[in-house]
Amino acid sequence: MTPAALTLSEDKMADPKEPDFSDVESGSSSTAPPPATSGGRTYTVVKGDSLSKIAKQFYGSAGQWKKIYEANQDSIKNPDLIYPGQTFRIPDA
Amino acid sequence: MVVYRRSWSTLALGLALVMAPACKKKTETGAAAPDTTAAAPAPAAAPFSVQGVEVGKQVGSDKRVTAASTTFGPKDTIYASVATDGAAPSKTIAAKWTFGTGKLVKADSQTIAPTGPAATEFHISKPSGWPVGKYKVEISVDGSPAGSKDFEVKK
Repeated sequence: MTPAALTLSEDKMADPKEPDFSDVESGSSSTAPPPATSGGRTYTVVKGDSLSKIAKQFYGSAGQWKKIYEANQDSIKNPDLIYPGQTFRIPDA
Repeated sequence: MVVYRRSWSTLALGLALVMAPACKKKTETGAAAPDTTAAAPAPAAAPFSVQGVEVGKQVGSDKRVTAASTTFGPKDTIYASVATDGAAPSKTIAAKWTFGTGKLVKADSQTIAPTGPAATEFHISKPSGWPVGKYKVEISVDGSPAGSKDFEVKK
């Protein structure tokens, strides 16, 4: 009869060669800003609108139209051409 | 009987003057009537792309590795810097650090909204010291592989 104390199952046998990374610390940062929050503002284009007009409305400056364009490049192919019904994300100022 | 001899050139000129307005080029009537006070439209923005991956012992304030290195000591903090270009509303950059044949060391990710050239750094450290051997850091963007670097820890 084999003493139980002398019998070790394989999963309890420590492998001295297996490295332990449980104490690794990590982090990250970026020069790029994080995305606008999902609850951010949106705007639906109506007839007569332009990016500069929308920028004037939200930012007080027509020159901020580029901010809206860059936040919606997936739907704005030409910044001179937008259509009624399009919905754009409006980044925070 | 009176015969009126029309001058065909005069008639043609008259027709031209009458038809000219009707032939005017149609202008766009989309909603985006250009605002004459707006800034000139920007050139097409560059699509988002990863420009390169570097590893080293420290990064500068620009999040780029100050001196690239592929050899580290057991007590070094290891940095990986990912240079990107282009704009995107949201991109998730992930770094997966592995040891040897693929044992996971650490995995991290950072979601960004770049508007142009940018750099994102990831770093790892181990208070008890890194095991000697070969490592790899694999970078992905939105789940797609975007580059990797091999490095080694030596005593």
